[in-house]
Amino acid sequence: MTIQELMERVGMKETTIAIAWIKDAFHLIQSNAKEHTKVQKINIIDGIRKYPFPADMISLKSISVKDTTDSKYKKIRRLVGEPTVTEDTDPE
Amino acid sequence: MSYDTHKTWLYRLEGRYIHLWQYIQGAATTTLGDYKIRLPGEYYGNQLIYPNEDITNGLRVEYTALIEPFVGDAWEDLTGRYSDDGISFTASTRVIALGAGNTWLSAGFADDDKIRIIGSASNDGDYTIDDGVGTSIAGGATSIDLISTDSLTDEAAGESITIYQIPDEDTTPDESNHVNLNRLLSLSVVDYLKAQLADMQGNVQMKEYYMREFWKKIGDNESNKRKISMTFPTSPYAIR
Repeated sequence: MTIQELMERVGMKETTIAIAWIKDAFHLIQSNAKEHTKVQKINIIDGIRKYPFPADMISLKSISVKDTTDSKYKKIRRLVGEPTVTEDTDPE
Repeated sequence: MSYDTHKTWLYRLEGRYIHLWQYIQGAATTTLGDYKIRLPGEYYGNQLIYPNEDITNGLRVEYTALIEPFVGDAWEDLTGRYSDDGISFTASTRVIALGAGNTWLSAGFADDDKIRIIGSASNDGDYTIDDGVGTSIAGGATSIDLISTDSLTDEAAGESITIYQIPDEDTTPDESNHVNLNRLLSLSVVDYLKAQLADMQGNVQMKEYYMREFWKKIGDNESNKRKISMTFPTSPYAIR
């Protein structure tokens, strides 16, 4: 369906605000229905535990870590609760 | 070397960061000469430690994003799809051949279509068709070449490959562009626009009505993918 057809069905005339609202609707759809998914790979660095989410992420689907013995990505589980840190060289 | 990462790695969500932890059973060690020794008095047992090795592209995050919201073609018009083990690739001329007797036209493709290749040994990715080789696609070409900015790797036939058409994104959309959604989700966007208009007019009741319609269509679209039927018995006193 074209943007023009969408606007005609609603009775809108301003294209700019229509496009902005369509993007908002996309966000809501992607937030709940996971219509299109994307993958980003990040290097894991020895001694670093903190990695940023992709800047364009709307909702998280899964996190995997590469098993270097068979070169496959395997989904990892989420840790619930704060682990007890006994030795931390860079506490936050 | 990471192994059984689904058992030995864990993550935790912290604001806009992923915290990675490695689960080990061991103790703090140090290297003395050529020997790795366990430090006396150190705790031995189950521990969570920071990642203890470099892994190139080791962390894979799958997520949803605002991916190509506006495209040149409607989803319903994406007709191109072809699967076979007779597809070959020539790097020097950027040519993809379907094999004798199989035309790009009958597979549903046309000039300038954007295509995605999956299943090949070394040519998986997105490309754009330029035109047919020897004859046009409409004239029954069995081979096509790609636009000059695309590149291929030489690959003989043999792999089970699928080529399918994908919509071409437009980063500066205008009224002629399509929304990159199927028909039902496009109709849900119509409800969303109506809700926003009602909100601007201060008509909260109407806004709520259209937002309900919006979510209902998203729900319908999801249930259309699942083959689950639910049947409820009608009670004798039900109002029809």
